[in-house]
Amino acid sequence: MNRISSQLVITLVLFFAVWFALSRVDWIDVLNIEHINKTTEEKLGEFFWDIIKQTEKEIQDHDIELSIDSILSRICDSNHIEKDNITLHLVEKDEVNAFALPGNHLVLYRGLILATDDEAALCGVICHEIAHMEKNHVMKKLVKEIGLSVIISMAGGNTGSETMKEALKLLSSTAYDRNLEKEADLLAVEYLINSKVDPEPLAEFLYDISGDESSMEKRLSWISTHPASKERAEYIIDCCKGKPTEYVPILSKETWEGLRENLSTY
Amino acid sequence: MINIKEFAYTPGEHEAEKAANSYIMSVVALVGGLPLPIINLIATLAFYAGNRKGTYYVRWHCTQALLSQFSLLLMNSCGFWWTIAILFGPETITNKYIAYIFTIIIYNLIEFVATIYTAMKTGKGKHVEWWLYGNLTNLICKP
Repeated sequence: MNRISSQLVITLVLFFAVWFALSRVDWIDVLNIEHINKTTEEKLGEFFWDIIKQTEKEIQDHDIELSIDSILSRICDSNHIEKDNITLHLVEKDEVNAFALPGNHLVLYRGLILATDDEAALCGVICHEIAHMEKNHVMKKLVKEIGLSVIISMAGGNTGSETMKEALKLLSSTAYDRNLEKEADLLAVEYLINSKVDPEPLAEFLYDISGDESSMEKRLSWISTHPASKERAEYIIDCCKGKPTEYVPILSKETWEGLRENLSTY
Repeated sequence: MINIKEFAYTPGEHEAEKAANSYIMSVVALVGGLPLPIINLIATLAFYAGNRKGTYYVRWHCTQALLSQFSLLLMNSCGFWWTIAILFGPETITNKYIAYIFTIIIYNLIEFVATIYTAMKTGKGKHVEWWLYGNLTNLICKP
């Protein structure tokens, strides 16, 4: 019996030792998995954006793009994020919505920019979406909801347009799970503080709009699909406490007003 | 790891062939049902059930073949469900996962080669006892 026990222990130790030794190798790098993932994400992002383009109109106005680009530049520079990796799309739609697509496509609806009274609130929403990108939530959500096998066949162009549309609907109108949302919110607060932008207007934006949810339900996709907006506003406020309070506006008051005025003409 | 030992008696030709078949059964089932780790265990279990009233030599080797399949079942099941969680669930591919898959491939290959070797030797009437499983079989299987 003792012999069996010792042989069993040796076998188990040997198994775990082999596993441990093999896991010291960076297989992700050796097998080039990151590169494969990146290519897949880029292809998916392009597919999804092509579908959006079929039904929605993209705003192509130099002044508007320049203003949003300034906001994006400050956030990215202050947080060591490669701005060139992010592709910004402004969509001419009244829905209060913003979302991230695979391959770092950031989609902002006109309705969302007009709904934010404060530049800092818009920065907050942008930071939230960038946080989703940086934490790879977009792909995690796709994998969780539709499965890796479907995603691989999508990237290879072997999936019907209906499946693609369903997946896009999932990305643009359904919330991430509560933990991922909270993670993105808290990271967004960190990004805002690093960018010297006040995080409180984001909390106020969430709080104000959460009160109007019933009357504006249909238009407020970004809020209504992100659960418990009041709760989010509260933990954002909590997270700001004790943080530095020196904030520097990104756009001048005139530029911000000009941006909103320009957008309202569309 | 694998020892050729003296058995309690010299098995007859028919007995040796039946004992060898218990190993061949697990190998064939392993190849046939590769993605599903339970298949080879079911096949070996069925063969064991069919021979549990056989001679001591046949029973002994059926038991050793069956026991060896249990450990493979455990290892392969973990790998199988881990893969399912990556394909359809929230898990992602990590170095640990890839290392685990390589580890079970190594163990499966070792077991595969050992099983074929044992089947050949057993077929010739030689008594082959495996590391750990041989002792376990001696404990379970009595004349």
